[in-house]
Amino acid sequence: MINMRNDFYPEGTVRALLNTGLITPATHDVLTGRLANQEVLTPIFFSKENFVTLTTVCKRLIPQLSAGRQVDLPGIMDRQLASGTGNGWRYASMPADGQAMLKGLYGIDETATIMFGKAYRFLDSELQDEVLHAIQSGVVLGVTWQSLPARLFFEELLAILAELYYSHPLAKEEIGEVSMADAKGWSKIGLNELEDHEPRSIKT
Amino acid sequence: MQQFLNDELVDAVVIGTGAGGAPLLSRLAKAGLKVVALEAGAHWDAAKDFATDEVSQQKLFWTDERLSAGRDPLAFGNNNSGIGVGGSTLHYTAYTPRPQPDDFKIFDEFGVGVNWPIDYRDIEYYFDELEQFLGISGPANYPWGGPRRSSYPMPPLPLNGPAQLMKRGCDSLGIKTSPAANAALSGPYYQEGIGWRAACTNRGFCQAGCTTGAKASMDVTYIPFAIKYGAEIRAESFVTHFDRNKDGLISSVVYIDAGLEKRQKCRYVFLCAGAIETPRLLLYNGLANSSGEVGKNFMSHTGLQLWGQFDDDIRPYKGIPGALISEDMHRPKSADFAGGYLLQSIGVMPVTYASQLARGRGLWGEKLLQCMRGYNHTAGINILGECLPYANNYLELSQEKDGRGLPKPLIHFSMQENEKRLTAHGKKNMQEIWRSAGGRDIWTFNRTAHIIGTCRMGTDPDKAVVNREGQCFDIPNLYIADNSIFPSSLSVNPALTIMALSLYIADNFLLNKK
Repeated sequence: MINMRNDFYPEGTVRALLNTGLITPATHDVLTGRLANQEVLTPIFFSKENFVTLTTVCKRLIPQLSAGRQVDLPGIMDRQLASGTGNGWRYASMPADGQAMLKGLYGIDETATIMFGKAYRFLDSELQDEVLHAIQSGVVLGVTWQSLPARLFFEELLAILAELYYSHPLAKEEIGEVSMADAKGWSKIGLNELEDHEPRSIKT
Repeated sequence: MQQFLNDELVDAVVIGTGAGGAPLLSRLAKAGLKVVALEAGAHWDAAKDFATDEVSQQKLFWTDERLSAGRDPLAFGNNNSGIGVGGSTLHYTAYTPRPQPDDFKIFDEFGVGVNWPIDYRDIEYYFDELEQFLGISGPANYPWGGPRRSSYPMPPLPLNGPAQLMKRGCDSLGIKTSPAANAALSGPYYQEGIGWRAACTNRGFCQAGCTTGAKASMDVTYIPFAIKYGAEIRAESFVTHFDRNKDGLISSVVYIDAGLEKRQKCRYVFLCAGAIETPRLLLYNGLANSSGEVGKNFMSHTGLQLWGQFDDDIRPYKGIPGALISEDMHRPKSADFAGGYLLQSIGVMPVTYASQLARGRGLWGEKLLQCMRGYNHTAGINILGECLPYANNYLELSQEKDGRGLPKPLIHFSMQENEKRLTAHGKKNMQEIWRSAGGRDIWTFNRTAHIIGTCRMGTDPDKAVVNREGQCFDIPNLYIADNSIFPSSLSVNPALTIMALSLYIADNFLLNKK
């Protein structure tokens, strides 16, 4: 990890491209739809209790710094699970997708209570992370995990959130990624060759 | 488009319109046969319907749920299974290397796996034909696999960042590389029966669907060709079972169209639904399985990916993802395993990469965000190698029913010693290449690619489902033409070979029918 780059990119790059003709109408519709998503206040799929736990977990797994412009990960996930659309497979050792999420979120609170005597949302962030690390490792206390493989549940939850987050224009701005601006194709594709509309990283 | 009535006795029904179904469909139509293709998914208009967006393009993936078991459970969906007119070619990367002659004789060479009942020479003609018909871009002189009768019709696609880095690393280590063969056009291309297709614009989103028609997916090549010659395509038609006559032959194919059950009368059936749906359909109908081999010998290529960050600016969403290849490891001298692998440079789409960091590396919190902020400086290479057939890698029907009321398939898959050794060999090589190229923060994502096997082709009716011409031993008017009939995996990506087999099966069928 010490070896990892630490780039930063300016805000607003993807939104600035939306109406430039560099984005096809089909792509434009998808991205503007995502930007217009209203924050979900009342969950359909999750119980209120589950939803609060999920919201708290999301903040640890995908911390979003700018408070005013957050991607509503728990809300999108709630609506997706309510719609029942799957991704084509699941581990045979896991329950159906929705059941696994409900059960796993309950398990997070159960483990938090066993480890630190409080429901997950009432813990300090450091202790919240300890709970998540325990679940990710698969070596974890709680009756829930006897019938739900903790490691796989964590992997599923994390993958779903990562996919939802990085499909959002705001997350794309954060990583300086403008793959969607391809209506005219790409001619500068070799190493260190950038089109004018590809964001440059901010030196820190 | 030609339209046939359900009660009209057509010559053939083709189930599935991917790399297995589409070439064969066009061949039969061109020969003047009355043919109907039934496709479970939609018939898209790519320019209008496809967005440059991984999530919304999940509509190209087969998302009826499959259950994955074993020590290395397979991720289905986006990795390997398509739906829609064009099948998985809608989301393949267009990587189309030929298998080498020795791939077909793996048992003779190593004493493991099985030989194919046909050899390279039996289908070599079709590789030549396909490369010309699809307008495959590649080097004038391909360095591996022996002499060829024809060159690729189009020059190679330009090298993107990952390809330049792989070349840099391989050059310094003395590993030979070449621009890869890709079924995407490096310039405009005209085909009789199809018209002009435009050149690739270097969108690196092949796996999310091509919006320009430059990629030779079936929907822009064999499907329009087949329609021109009188084939009918019925999209959103999901096949559930078959009627059979007193001799046990199939007399009609039963399918669901907008909630209604319909039956198409036919003389012959070509089942081209891929290595999961083909055996699933046969198993829940109790068909063509006197050998007990339906669902057996499931294979998936070893496909370890290795990623690293570089000081260079890469933007891995640009250019054909697999622009560079090396087949120096096809039969490596230092191998402690059977078979071999190819090496491929890879670009990657952002959501796919984020998902891999989550699943494969378990990164979350600030580490995940930091790693993703390095996405523009990320490039990868992967192996694509042999996977041997094993008795304990197989498909069966689970007890669970899906939304259509049909049993979900349950697939057992575990890598065995040979796959592990091959993967370790590839990993070591790729680490050296990426270090030599200047890579850092290098990590590997262990995965397998493609679905292969489950309805083996062979000469012995007790050990195989279809004969060397794709015809079922049990039901003479049922043929299978897709990746399920591969007896061994071959150490290359399967699309080109599936298409070649499809044409080979069609031509033999037409010859025998005369």
